[in-house]
Amino acid sequence: MKGKKLVALFLASVMSLGLLAGCGPKDPGPTPSQGADATPSPSQTATYEQVKFDGQKYTYKMGVSIVPANWNPHTYQTQDDSVPLDYITDGLFASLYNDELHPVEGMDAYKGYKMVPAMAADFPTDVTAEVKAAHPEFNIPESATSGYAWSVKLRDDLKWDDGTPITAQDFVDSLERVLRGELLNYRAADYYDGSYVVVNADRYSLAGEPVFTTFAKQGITYADFIAGGGTDAEVAVDMNGFWGVTGPDGFRSWGYITDDTMVRDPAVAEGEDEDYVSAKYLWDNYLGPDGGYAGSGYDLEYTGTISYPYEEGYGFENVGLFVSGDNELTFVFRNALEGFYLLSYGMNVPLVKIDLYDACLSEKEGVWTSTYNSNMETSASYGPYKISDFQMDKSMHLVKNDNWYGWNSGIYTYVDPSDGKQYDMYQTTDIDIQCVKEAATSKTMFLAGQLMTYGLQAEDFDQYRNSEFCYATPGQTVFGLILNGYMKVLQERENAADFDKATTDLEMMSVESFTKALAVSVDRDDMCASVSPARSAGFGLIGTRYVYDPETGALYRDTDQAKQALCNFYSVDPADYGGDLDKAVAAITGFDPVAAAGFFNEAFTEGIEKGYITDTDGDGKSDQTVTIQYALSAEASAFMEKTLAYLNESIGNAAKGTPFEGKIKFIFSAVLGNKWSDAIQNGTADTVLAGWSGATMDPFGFADTWTGDRCYWTNWFDAKSVNVTMNIKGEELTMTLRDWAECLQGNMKTVDGKEYNFGYGQADVETRLDILAKCEETVMGAYVTLPMLADGSMALLSQQVYYVVEEFSPVMIRGGIGYMKYNYSDTEWDSYVSSQGGTLQY
Amino acid sequence: MVKYVLKRTLYMILVFLLITFMCFVLIRMLPLPVLPPEDVHTKIVMMRREALGYNKPYLEQFGIFLRNVLTRWDWGLSEKLYYGQDVWSIFVQKLPASMVVNLYSIIWTIPVGIALGIFAALKKNTWVDYAISTLTMVVISVPAFVYAFLIQYLLCYKLQWFPFLMKGGTDWFSWPMFVSMVPAILSLSFGTIAGFARTTRAELTEVLTSEFMLLARTKGLTKTQATVRHALRNCFVVIVPAIFGQFIGILGGSLIIEGIFGIPGVGGLTLNAINGLDYNIFILTTCFYTAIGLAAGLVVDISYGFIDPRIRMGSKK
Repeated sequence: MKGKKLVALFLASVMSLGLLAGCGPKDPGPTPSQGADATPSPSQTATYEQVKFDGQKYTYKMGVSIVPANWNPHTYQTQDDSVPLDYITDGLFASLYNDELHPVEGMDAYKGYKMVPAMAADFPTDVTAEVKAAHPEFNIPESATSGYAWSVKLRDDLKWDDGTPITAQDFVDSLERVLRGELLNYRAADYYDGSYVVVNADRYSLAGEPVFTTFAKQGITYADFIAGGGTDAEVAVDMNGFWGVTGPDGFRSWGYITDDTMVRDPAVAEGEDEDYVSAKYLWDNYLGPDGGYAGSGYDLEYTGTISYPYEEGYGFENVGLFVSGDNELTFVFRNALEGFYLLSYGMNVPLVKIDLYDACLSEKEGVWTSTYNSNMETSASYGPYKISDFQMDKSMHLVKNDNWYGWNSGIYTYVDPSDGKQYDMYQTTDIDIQCVKEAATSKTMFLAGQLMTYGLQAEDFDQYRNSEFCYATPGQTVFGLILNGYMKVLQERENAADFDKATTDLEMMSVESFTKALAVSVDRDDMCASVSPARSAGFGLIGTRYVYDPETGALYRDTDQAKQALCNFYSVDPADYGGDLDKAVAAITGFDPVAAAGFFNEAFTEGIEKGYITDTDGDGKSDQTVTIQYALSAEASAFMEKTLAYLNESIGNAAKGTPFEGKIKFIFSAVLGNKWSDAIQNGTADTVLAGWSGATMDPFGFADTWTGDRCYWTNWFDAKSVNVTMNIKGEELTMTLRDWAECLQGNMKTVDGKEYNFGYGQADVETRLDILAKCEETVMGAYVTLPMLADGSMALLSQQVYYVVEEFSPVMIRGGIGYMKYNYSDTEWDSYVSSQGGTLQY
Repeated sequence: MVKYVLKRTLYMILVFLLITFMCFVLIRMLPLPVLPPEDVHTKIVMMRREALGYNKPYLEQFGIFLRNVLTRWDWGLSEKLYYGQDVWSIFVQKLPASMVVNLYSIIWTIPVGIALGIFAALKKNTWVDYAISTLTMVVISVPAFVYAFLIQYLLCYKLQWFPFLMKGGTDWFSWPMFVSMVPAILSLSFGTIAGFARTTRAELTEVLTSEFMLLARTKGLTKTQATVRHALRNCFVVIVPAIFGQFIGILGGSLIIEGIFGIPGVGGLTLNAINGLDYNIFILTTCFYTAIGLAAGLVVDISYGFIDPRIRMGSKK
């Protein structure tokens, strides 16, 4: 029988962690006085020589493979469609670089960012107490004294691009429209699901829809429910939460216990027990009165009923956003919010021009659709630019929106570190977006000066990667080589009739010294250069883009804890580098052929002892070739071909002179399609380069991802069986790896009768970093996956422009179009390109 | 002839309905993109599909579709590619760009191709014939997108004679628009020229060696007179249907050429609709091209009778 599965898929884990991170904050949020400091005063700006726009034309020329077709903030579905929103919309608050005009205490200029009021006149005021007393409909907890309700005053010079004033009521009406249930807006869920949403948004948007609540939350048992007149037909199982499968209808996780529709469990190979399950099956075998988990608590946690359908006709007046004064909005949130999360995520309304929006709505046979923001006529802007021309699937042109408050607000200005002068942001006067589908066309257009950027393709790296105009942008994901240690499955595969045990072996993959040898057999830097030059060597499980402190933008990978974890895993002693962690980390290559040889010898001895391999002729070499199958989802790409060839060569070299010389072979699996991840999880394929990305502001979410019962990379690693001891503020504390991870997410754990919670706001950030780094080190030490490649891309930037800040920041990127400066106006640029013979050198 | 046309038209309608129904069902049978069950948008996508009637029986959906098209010329709204927009309007908006480029292309490719074919046939087994035939084979063997990239590289990038992409706007017959279309027109043309040259040469070579051509010459006709009056007319039994095919192709657009030169045409519409599971766009383009294809087949068949009076289709006499 299979053990109980408290399943959390990766996305769910990361998302839920992101949400938890917003709960119960203790860190002080911004105050009105800080707001006054944040906006530059005339006296501040007067200390720098100011340079104003010179009236020339500066066009930012973009090539996109798909021209946006629907940039309606309520309905857009793709990244391509959202491109114009970066230019034609704005927020109540904005992130600006922490330059001399927007200083952040203790942080060097341009190393972080600062949130400043943008469309808001000032930072918000906490009105939790007042709203709690005056508006019982919002159900603010009795004990709450702050964080739930915030009022914010809007600027009085906000306008649409046609000059129509923007009022507080527009914000309220816009939220009403996006949430209106009958419109079935794709983006509605962004505003009713999660922790950064206003209260009752879900009840308004989903009015009439069923809501399942567990028996545990309702404070009853199944027996109570039946005794109260309930029937089995009303009882449901949380199939996703408990078993990790979707419901019978393909998306709802709940299934009624009378429903015997079988659904696939991807964690189990087809043909094995419980490869298909139904809600009825889970109830009968596990959660019901006769099931294995009756009385365990899980039966109450994963079964329940419709406690109430969302009330029909629920009024928007009960939703937590209302006009509370002259041009003032009050937000009432489902959870307490402060600081970055409040300003960036909480106070975020998808503003639309209501009269135009309503005119664009149409209904046919009960289905509503909208053409708002799908062409020039139906488009409205309240950002720095507005659309001046649009041709479907061809081009879009934007010009400055003269009615944007920002031009005269004094907010959007900066001090250029290169000359110490003060400039206004948004030097770009025009944005030209053209459809350029082919990379070859993009390249020639770029070299002819007709595009601002060109993303390097594989064939370009040798020529351009060292160009002064080439910028590397790190990705979020670290790709690791997932390993197979699933002994039971390896043995089953070896026992197959067509498997030749005399010449081939799989079991060695479960031997730790063998996996350790593999780990130190690959030079990550060399591998990147050989198979994927845009990427860089990956040493940790968490990439370089993850911010642990959203208030300052500080990165996890830059912390001492994260650096020490890498040193520990790769056996690099900082003392050898004068105690300098940075130097020690820089010395890590992950490649140690001497150590690899030692591990291979050790593995050979163990393999012989355990009977995994043989040495019948006594030549000190394995008779069998360890054959490692690389999972293919589709026909092998050039990248995969190169990867496999590199692994065979690199590990083959490391194994020379050892018992495994010429006896390790990576091969491709058959094409597995979407089942490749199942094959990796259940051990029927052995390895693949794969990784995860998560919420940029929440690296702590990874701990849950690595240790969940349904670990994405494999079923054989059990974080509940790994004990980890840490010293927390002088106290030695031992818990399982899983418990540490759960504790980091805000779940209370009891050790020796004492309760611990290291969630956001429950523990100081240094302690949380200590725990996260230890979790990372422990998981790496289990050799479930070997970090190999850190994702990234490279692009050339036109000589016409430059970034004020060249260093990449996950939040500010490189400042976007606001901080882009021009070396040449359009006219000057044309002359310059002509003078170069029409072809530029990069 | 009238009876024959009516009969063929009736068959055409039946085949059209059959193809339409098959395509209507087949695209709905394609699996939906896998959406994570935890994705908060999944529920809305599914609720919207339910509201749009995509979970109803296929026959019922097809009935609703036919009713809307036949009674209101309503082809529905795009759900994925151009959210909320009328698919017929989208199609009509995108059709001119494809048509104009193709029209410019065939206007010069057909005469040039036929002329080269005639020239090669008349100069059979001379270096001229060998040169044209060899070039024709090479051009036919190389895909059009290769020329497209070469043309773009040489004419647009190196020589800077033309813009990289087609000009924006809808002034289809303006001079700047024409200039911006030249690279695409050239890319589309080479294959067509080669095709016509090869067909014309092959047909004409055969006809020129026929006995009736010898008879024509012995009757005192000059070579030119014999070729134009007798040989060419016989060749056209094969060439004219090919010309019809080219004109029908005007409406089709070219996925790759349009992509390379930024032509906002209909070339990629069907494929994008399949990839995006935009049912209404797919079924509109399918119906349109099916109808055009069937009608073209009928027109071509009828045209044989006019080109060569000896051909009498459907005649029992």
